[in-house]
Amino acid sequence: MSGGEFYRASSVQEALDLLAKYGAKAHVLAGGTDIMVKVNRRQLAPEVLVYIGECGLNYIKDLGDKVVIGGATPFAEILRSDVVKQKLPLLAEAVKHIGTPAIRNVGTIGGNLVTASPAADSSVPLLALGASVKLASKSGERVVPLEAFFKGPGETVRKPDELLVEVIIPVPDKDVKFAYHKIGRRKAGTLSVVAGAVIFKAEGGAPRGTAIARDQACYFEKCSQARVVLNAVAPTPLVAKKASALLEGSALDAELIAKVAKTAAEETSPIDDVRASAWYRRQASEGLVKSLLERIVA
Amino acid sequence: MYTLELKVNGRAYKVEVKATTTLLQVLREKLGITGPKVGCETGDCGACSVLVNGKLVKACITNALTVHGKEVLTVEGLGRPGAFHPLQLAFHEHYAAQCGFCTPGMLMAAKALLDENPKPTRDEVKEALSGNLCRCTGYVKIVDAIMAAAGEKA
Repeated sequence: MSGGEFYRASSVQEALDLLAKYGAKAHVLAGGTDIMVKVNRRQLAPEVLVYIGECGLNYIKDLGDKVVIGGATPFAEILRSDVVKQKLPLLAEAVKHIGTPAIRNVGTIGGNLVTASPAADSSVPLLALGASVKLASKSGERVVPLEAFFKGPGETVRKPDELLVEVIIPVPDKDVKFAYHKIGRRKAGTLSVVAGAVIFKAEGGAPRGTAIARDQACYFEKCSQARVVLNAVAPTPLVAKKASALLEGSALDAELIAKVAKTAAEETSPIDDVRASAWYRRQASEGLVKSLLERIVA
Repeated sequence: MYTLELKVNGRAYKVEVKATTTLLQVLREKLGITGPKVGCETGDCGACSVLVNGKLVKACITNALTVHGKEVLTVEGLGRPGAFHPLQLAFHEHYAAQCGFCTPGMLMAAKALLDENPKPTRDEVKEALSGNLCRCTGYVKIVDAIMAAAGEKA
């Protein structure tokens, strides 16, 4: 029987005051799609719940070269947002594959990141886009690149008195190339076996469908700002740095595609679990990265 | 204990709940509204689906206190004998229920869809039902019923 306390923060300030007071005893509640599952499974009996669903952190702001999303913004609103559709199509695509409609109605972007599952769905597009998170506490704010935010399964650099108030996403150039795909046990409402995204800026290259493109000397003469991201194949969502570096400054051809995919798979450190074996995940990572790159050049 | 005030199917209620009580526990155990079913209790199966302020949620993982001051609609509020909702009639006509356990949740997911998108495609119906499992696997007739109800509405 839980004798926990429940506080409804009516402002961010109030939430920060509560977190300063209760520290590690406090669990921040937004949509509850992770916390309430743990409560129902008797895995969590929170001493203090701080509800932030109605404290003013539900917004999507278009700041020109970046989009800022409030920490308690549900995925359904991100999916509906014209700003996200137009400026961050990679995020829009990935959000479609998060949970199911009722989960997206309440599950929030901040909650998904703070829960820090190695399979966190939103982490893949956000890492690919080079997003940062703003953490606020009573004593101030700091902005942490998402790449430096995750520490391990369920662990982040967030301190107990800090609240993830914003996700800051730089808007990529319009002509940036990207692809996203999630492999799960079923099509909807599932956790990743592995999901991945590839994004880069491409210069030069043969027009699609031409003889040159088909005979492929190379698809693009030069890739830059490349990122290869995978989840559910390491203790944290993974930016495959070596694979990304292979793309950087290089001409993209079939040989490089194979090499990038192989390298990305080598960077993973998956585990066996109920969804897939480590062996399968590594194979799937290679196939996934290959197919993402092939989709881009197709 | 905390006092929770909410409206369910148009009627106002005031109940005492704990910090971690779920909306499903309030509906079934405190108010005797048993249309929403206890299935997985992990947000996966959708048998507990209800609308909160018009939005589809899983009552089993909805913290009851987050619904304070809001309006809940369950299958009991959708229609009643003699005045069934078009979706309920369509489910009846298309034999869209076998054991019936998933049906209240299916109906609420369908209502949430048609409220936002009155003329969905078959794929949009399937997507809208992606969080509702039917272990009789009667999905085809459920989708048929919702398509028919959508046609009727137009």
